[in-house]
Amino acid sequence: MPEDKDWEAYKVPPTRTPVSERITSVPNPVTFFQTVFNYVVDTPVTFVREWIERQQAKNKFYYYHQKFRRVPDLSECLEGDYLCFFEAEAQWRRDRLVDTEIVEIIRERLGACKQREGPNEFQNCAKEVELLAQVTKAYQDRYGDLGVHGNARTCLMKQKHRMMEERKAKAEASS
Amino acid sequence: MAAMSLLLRAAAAWGARRAASGAVGSARLPGLAGAARLPGTLAPVRHSSDHGKRMFIIKATSFYDTRFLNLLRFYIFLTGIPVALFITYVNIFIGEAELAEIPEGYVPEYWEYYKHPISRWIARYLLDAPEKDYEKEMALLDVEAKKKELRLLELDARRLMRHRGDGPWYHYETPDKNLVDNSMKSTPDN
Repeated sequence: MPEDKDWEAYKVPPTRTPVSERITSVPNPVTFFQTVFNYVVDTPVTFVREWIERQQAKNKFYYYHQKFRRVPDLSECLEGDYLCFFEAEAQWRRDRLVDTEIVEIIRERLGACKQREGPNEFQNCAKEVELLAQVTKAYQDRYGDLGVHGNARTCLMKQKHRMMEERKAKAEASS
Repeated sequence: MAAMSLLLRAAAAWGARRAASGAVGSARLPGLAGAARLPGTLAPVRHSSDHGKRMFIIKATSFYDTRFLNLLRFYIFLTGIPVALFITYVNIFIGEAELAEIPEGYVPEYWEYYKHPISRWIARYLLDAPEKDYEKEMALLDVEAKKKELRLLELDARRLMRHRGDGPWYHYETPDKNLVDNSMKSTPDN
């Protein structure tokens, strides 16, 4: 579902088909099949598609990606302010969807890298593997075991526990 | 040739009569449809090109099944075909929207965030704006929050008035002191 428009990340190398000279006088049968395909399939389909696009170009209209304003977080809401809770919850859900899509895109990039490299994937895709590991770990830390009823409050509590654990570990490490 | 067919027909009838008596005599099941080769029938079957030997095939009725399937197809296509034609028309002649960056200083309407023209139409004419839905939900939450506050205040007031006894609640009407008959306590020797 996410369409990754950053083609640079995929780094498809240019094809290196060598130009060779003819050594036989037998014509290449592939050209015959190419011309047949061109006349039987390609030309009608392209004609129909371009006709459709001409019809659609008469009245073009656009759609946009909605940008939401940032509202105060759940940690900035006063107790009992249910409206603030509601807005923070909506914002947290949108952020969780965005983070899920980010992880999905990075996973697709790793898949594309593996497809591209073929047998060299273990060496050449190491950066993508590392990036995916970091992103997945961060996602798991933030949204990980909240369960299906996870909301902004349980996520905040999880963050609080994480910070307490870190503080305890630092105190034990320093003492 | 006509005599030939008459001969065949007579032979088949004789064979059938023999088979009927044989079936009655030996109680054999007459369930051999199609390839019913009676013993003793010597009528040669001409496998001609039109129908072969015409058989009366006995099978269960498919009337109800075909009627059901015909009705199903009819009622599905009755609205299905116009809807399919309409959707094809929309997809070919109107087409989907293109993704664009939001221009400077332009606030898109709430239906301009959808791609397909039918989704845009539904969002524009049938549904409320998501901002309006958001505000409706927040209004509901606000009313419930105020109700909750008032209920808590009422419970507090009840508790305090019961405890302190200085409020208008928990005051009970007692009879007037002029109505009390003190004659039983008026002399010490009763």
